[in-house]
Amino acid sequence: MQVKVGDRIVVRGHHVGDPNRDCEVLEVHGTDGGPPYLVRWGDTGHTTLFFPGPDAVVQGREPTTK
Amino acid sequence: MRVIDCVRRSAIGIGPERTIADVAEIMDQTGVGALAVIDQGRIVGLVTDRDLVRRGLARSVSPDARVDTVMTADVVTVEAEADLHDVFAIFRTHAIRRLPVVRGGEFVGMVTVDDLVIDLAADLSDLARPITGEVLFAHRDPPG
Repeated sequence: MQVKVGDRIVVRGHHVGDPNRDCEVLEVHGTDGGPPYLVRWGDTGHTTLFFPGPDAVVQGREPTTK
Repeated sequence: MRVIDCVRRSAIGIGPERTIADVAEIMDQTGVGALAVIDQGRIVGLVTDRDLVRRGLARSVSPDARVDTVMTADVVTVEAEADLHDVFAIFRTHAIRRLPVVRGGEFVGMVTVDDLVIDLAADLSDLARPITGEVLFAHRDPPG
């Protein structure tokens, strides 16, 4: 994953009924836009380091299905 | 299969200066039971919901105490490019259910027993399908 400061990342819920969560990228700690990222979570306002897995996509860059 | 290909979920990291109360709140709101404690890009510990109970609550540690007072230091890790069998070997010899994945010493994700079991169950189901078909619907040559 490659992002820039200000991008939003969406993490899909892991359990049935879980909502998706999203966070805003505050700092990019990796090289060339790579992880880890310092993020602020939209629902709680907490800041954490974020290490994206396959459950995370950059908002606006979700894979399209035909 | 490489270990990094078996990481199923994003991971969350925090600095060692964060408080136990912070950690509990983050776990509650994210549904994540283990956070990596990161200092200067390196994993210096792992804190689980169980650590909060056993090393925190049970010992009357203040919720304002730093997380590194209750975390597990000297964490067992596995390299991202290692083979999945290395993970099985580690889970076989250590009483842990979550294994931090590192690349060049830097934390990149977490592989868990739960995720591996789910993957294995799916694989077993795929393998069982032709056997089940044969058992239930035996192929017999027509008489004559």
